[in-house]
Amino acid sequence: MPTVTIDEKPYRADVGETILEVAQRNGIWIPTLCHHQALEPYAACRICVVEIDRGGWWQVVTSCNYPIRRALTVRVNSERAIRARRGVMELLLARCPESPQLRRLANRMGVEGTPYPHIAAAQENCILCNLCVRVCSERIGASAISMVGRGGDRTVATPFRMSSEDCIGCGACAAVCPVGTIDLIFHEDEVEISPFETRVTLRRCAECGRPVGSELVNEVLASRGGPTLVEMLAGDAYCLRCKRKKLAERLTAAVPGNGSGRAAQERSLPGGTNVQTGLHAGNPRSIRVGEAG
Amino acid sequence: MSTVATGLKTANDLEQYRRHLLGERDPRAHRVRVCVGTGCTAKGAKGVLELFNRTAEEAANDGVIVETKCTGCHGFCERGPIVVVDPGNIFYHGVKREDVPEIWRESLTGGRIVERLLYKDETTGQVAKTPDEIPFYKAQHRIVLAYNGVIDPTKIEEYVAVGGYAALAKVLTSMEPKEVIDEITNSGLRGRGGGGFLTGRKWRSARDAQSEPRYVIANGDEGDPGAFMDRSLMEGAPHSVIEGMIIGAYAIDSSQGFVYVRNEYPLAVQHLSTAIAQARELGLLGYDILGSGFDFDIRINRGSGAFVCGESTALMASLEGRVGEPRAKYIHTVESGLHEKPSLLNNVETWANVPQIILKGADWFASLGTEKSKGTKVFSLVGKVKNTGLVEVPMGMTLRQIIYDIGGGIRDDKAFKAVQTGGPSGGCIPARYLDEQVDFDRLTELGSMMGSGGMIVMDEDTCIVNFAKYFVGFLKDESCGKCTPCREGIAQMLHILEGIAKGEGKDGDIERLEQLGTLMEDTALCALGKTAANPVLSTIRYFRAEYEEHIREKRCPAKECPGLFNYEINRDVCTGCGLCAKKCPVEAITGERKKPHAIDQQKCTNCGTCFDACPFSAVVKV
Amino acid sequence: MRETAETPKLFAPAEGIAGIVDRYGGDRDMLIPMMQDIQADFGYLPREMLKELSESLCVPFSRIYSIATFYASFRLEPPGEHRITLCMGTVCFLKGADRISRAIQREFSVGPGGTSPDGKFTFCPVNCLGACALAPVMVVDGEYHGGLTVDLAVNLLRKIADAGKPTEATRNGKKKERGSKKK
Repeated sequence: MPTVTIDEKPYRADVGETILEVAQRNGIWIPTLCHHQALEPYAACRICVVEIDRGGWWQVVTSCNYPIRRALTVRVNSERAIRARRGVMELLLARCPESPQLRRLANRMGVEGTPYPHIAAAQENCILCNLCVRVCSERIGASAISMVGRGGDRTVATPFRMSSEDCIGCGACAAVCPVGTIDLIFHEDEVEISPFETRVTLRRCAECGRPVGSELVNEVLASRGGPTLVEMLAGDAYCLRCKRKKLAERLTAAVPGNGSGRAAQERSLPGGTNVQTGLHAGNPRSIRVGEAG
Repeated sequence: MSTVATGLKTANDLEQYRRHLLGERDPRAHRVRVCVGTGCTAKGAKGVLELFNRTAEEAANDGVIVETKCTGCHGFCERGPIVVVDPGNIFYHGVKREDVPEIWRESLTGGRIVERLLYKDETTGQVAKTPDEIPFYKAQHRIVLAYNGVIDPTKIEEYVAVGGYAALAKVLTSMEPKEVIDEITNSGLRGRGGGGFLTGRKWRSARDAQSEPRYVIANGDEGDPGAFMDRSLMEGAPHSVIEGMIIGAYAIDSSQGFVYVRNEYPLAVQHLSTAIAQARELGLLGYDILGSGFDFDIRINRGSGAFVCGESTALMASLEGRVGEPRAKYIHTVESGLHEKPSLLNNVETWANVPQIILKGADWFASLGTEKSKGTKVFSLVGKVKNTGLVEVPMGMTLRQIIYDIGGGIRDDKAFKAVQTGGPSGGCIPARYLDEQVDFDRLTELGSMMGSGGMIVMDEDTCIVNFAKYFVGFLKDESCGKCTPCREGIAQMLHILEGIAKGEGKDGDIERLEQLGTLMEDTALCALGKTAANPVLSTIRYFRAEYEEHIREKRCPAKECPGLFNYEINRDVCTGCGLCAKKCPVEAITGERKKPHAIDQQKCTNCGTCFDACPFSAVVKV
Repeated sequence: MRETAETPKLFAPAEGIAGIVDRYGGDRDMLIPMMQDIQADFGYLPREMLKELSESLCVPFSRIYSIATFYASFRLEPPGEHRITLCMGTVCFLKGADRISRAIQREFSVGPGGTSPDGKFTFCPVNCLGACALAPVMVVDGEYHGGLTVDLAVNLLRKIADAGKPTEATRNGKKKERGSKKK
C-alpha cells in the first residue's frame, strides 16, 4: 500500500487510486468541474491540477486522473498549484461570465474576477467539460449528443443539430452539468432538453399531474431487462411527493384497527400488477411490464 | 526490366535475388532519371517524363536503348523539375518539355553536356555538372535521403538492388530481439518527430510491457507547416520506412503495424500502398518472413486534416476510429497505447534510420553528430532563403552553415532576421546565435526545439509580431478544444496579438502573454497546448523591442502590420500609368496621366492594393 | 500517379454503405477510412449515408457526426464544381498566402470551407501542402499552381470559372518575387 504525501501529511492509498480520490477521502478539497464519480476521468477542465515530485522537479498534473502506482509526494496548496488553478478558472470565467455556479466555485477558490475579455463565440455558457456527453453514452447508453467541431468552435450538440432520435429525455445531462447550462423545459405533454432542441413525450404524475420524466426512459430501462424505471425512478405513476403521501397513507392504513386501510393495502401488493393498472394503462409503448402482465 | 520475384523463402533467396537484379544491370547503360516528387510534378515533371518515355520507345525500335525512370524527391524542389542523366550523374534543373529533345540528342545519346541546364552558382558563377559540385548538396550527408532521387520508389527491385531489406535479413538470421534493441540504443538514435526521446529506450519499454498484442506505428502525420521531409521520404523511399518498421516489430515482438499518413500527401499514400503490396508479394511482410517464423503486416491509415493527430495519443485515438483528442500520458503509450496495448510509435524519419544502423553498426551512427545528438537530421530549409529544399546534415552543423553555405543565404541579399525551428511548438532564433550548433539540446536551450526539422528563415521584412500571430492563429484552428488552457488560452493570446498588430496594444500586454504562456505550459493536457506559446515566448525573449514598438509607438518596423505604416508613391519611379488609381477601392490616389501620382493619407485604408498593382514598384511602404 | 491534394479514391465507388463496410470487414476502427471513402464517392458526407453507416456498424450517430466535424477534410455540404485548396503553411504565409486567401474570398464571395453562391468553387484553405518550395501554392482540381501572386491566382480562377479548364499558360506563373518589391 503506497503512501501518498499531500501537503506534507502522509495518507494511505491503494494502487490505481487517483490523487483526487485519496484527497477527497481525507477531506482535502481540490476543486473539480469535469469530474463525476460515476464517470471515467476526462481531465479536460484542468481545474484540479496539483504538483507532484518527480525527483528533483515538480510537475503539474491533473489530480482526477493521475494514478497512484507507488509512493508519491503531492502539493495541493503550493503557490504554483494555486496559481495554475486560478489561472484556469480565470479563463473559464471569461468564457462563461453568466454562470452563478461557476462564480460560486471561483469565490471558493479565491478568484474574484477575470482579467480576460469574453471572446468565446460558440455556446457561451458551456465550459465544454463533456460530462453531459459522457453520462449520455457511458451511463445512459443513448449517445444522443457529442462534441461537435474542434478548438474554439467546439460545442455540444445533437447530430446535424436536429432533434435527436436517440435522446430518451432522461435529463441526466442536465443533472450532471456543473454550470447549469442544460435545462429541462416541461411543455404540455413533452419534455424539452433545452440547448439540444430535443423533445420527448412527457410522463406526468397520475395523481397530481407533475412531470415525472419521459416515456422513453421507462421503455428503454424496461427493454434492458434490469430494474425498470418503475422500480428505479418513478416507483409508481406518481411523483415523489405523491408517492410519499401514498406511503404515509399506506402505513396509516396498515395500523390495525383502521378500517380505511384495506383498499390501499391491496393496491400496493408487491409484484407487477399494480403497476400495470396504475402506470401503464393506455400506454402502448411500455414493453417489459406489458409482457410480464 | 527484371521480372519480379515472389515469395522469398529465406535470407539467402533475398541475396540471390539481389545478385540477379544487379547482374541484369548494365553499368554503362544510358539512363535518365526524372524526379516526380510533389514539387517537380507541380512544375511539370510528368510531361517531361512522358516525353522521355515516348522518345525512348521510338528509339528502341531503332535499337537505341535508353532507360527512363522516375525517382523520388531530390530535395532541391526550388529548381525543379530535376532530370539526371547517367552515366555521369549529370544534373539538369528547371527542365521543360521543350528541353527534352536537346537532352536526348546531346546528353543521352551524344555524350555531351547541355550547359544551359546545369546549375550555376549565383555568386561565384561556377557551373556544376553533378550534384556533388552544387553547394546545396556538397555539405550534405545523406543517409535517410540516400535513395531519394536515385531509385524508383514504386519498384521494390530497385530498393533490393541497392541493398534494401538486407538489414532485415541480417536481423532475422543472426540477431536476437534484445541485440537489435541494444544496437539501436548504442547508436544513440533519438526520435526525429519532436521530443528527441532515445529510440532504443522506447523500444525496450515496449518490449518489457507486460500486455499483448503489441503494435508498431509510423507517424507520418507531418503537420508542422513548412516541413516536408517526411513527405519526401514516404514518396521517395517508402521501403526504408517499411523495413525499419519490420525490424522494430521483430525487436518488440509485434505482428501488426500501422502507418498514419497525412491526407494532404496523396502521393505518399500511393507509394506506401504500392510498397507494402510489393513487400507482401515478395514475402517480406506477412507470415513467416524469410522463413524466420516471424509474422508481421502493415496497414495504412490516412489522416483527415487534424494537426493534433501528430500527437501520439491523438494519433492512436484516430487509428481507433475516434476523434483525435489527446489523453493524459501518465501511463505511457509504450505500455498502454492503441487499444490500451503496448504501442511503439516512431516518426517515419526515425524508422528510416533503423536499417542503416543495423547494416553499418551503432558505432558508425554514433560517430556522426554531437555528444548527445547522433546521426544526421533532415531539415526543410524554407522561407526567405535562396536555396529552398530538403537538407540532410550531421547533427551539430551550425545554423550559419545550413542557412548560408547550403541555403545560399537570404534572398535578394536582405538581412537575416531569425530562423524558426520546430514548427508551431518551436521558437525563433535570432542572428546572434547563427553560429550555434544545431542539435536537440542546444535548440531547446535557445527556447526553440528540433521538432520534426522545419527551418523557416525570416528576413528583415518579416514582422515578428505578425509571425507569432500566424502561429498562434494556426494553433487556434488546430487545437482540439478538449482542455481549457489550450482552447481558451490560445484564443486569448491571439486576441492580444491581434490588438498589438492593429496598433491597439496596451502596456501590460507582453506580461499578459508571458503569464498565459506559463499557465498553458503548466496546465495544458498535451504537448500541443503545452508548447503553443513557444513562438510567442521566444519572440518576446529575442525581439521584445519590436513588440514594444508596436505597442507604444504604434509602428511596425518591418512594415507588415496594416495600419502601422503608410503607403506612399515614389515620385521618381512613378510613370503615371494610373493603374493604382484605377484599382484603389477608396479613390485615395490621384494624379495626372503620365505624371507622378500621390496617395491621400486621409482616405487611404492601407489595403495594399496599389502596392500589389504597381508594375514599377513605385508604391513604397514608409 | 495522381497529383491531387484531395482524398484519393483508392477504390471504385462501392455499392452503397454495405460495400464500404464490407471493404473493411466491418471493423469499427476503420470508421474514419469508411467516411473518407464515402466522401470520395459523393464529394461530401450526406446525412443519410452517415445514418446508415451508424446503423450498419452499431456506432452512435452522434459519434460519427462528431468525427465528421472534428476532422477538417470532411465536408457536410455538396462541394462546388471546382475545388480550390490554398496552402496556408508558414512559407506560403510569409510569401503572401493570406492576401491571396482574402482576394479569393472577396472575388468569389466564398468563405473558408464554403462554396461560392454560383456553385463554381469550394474554397479550402489547408495548413500545409508540404510543397514549400513552390510557395505560395494552390491546388485547383488536383493540379498544383506554384509561385502565385494575388493577380495570378484570381486570374487563373476566373479563367477556370469561365472556361472550366486551366490553361497551360497560367500554370507555374510568377517569376517576380514579392520580396524584391519591398524597400
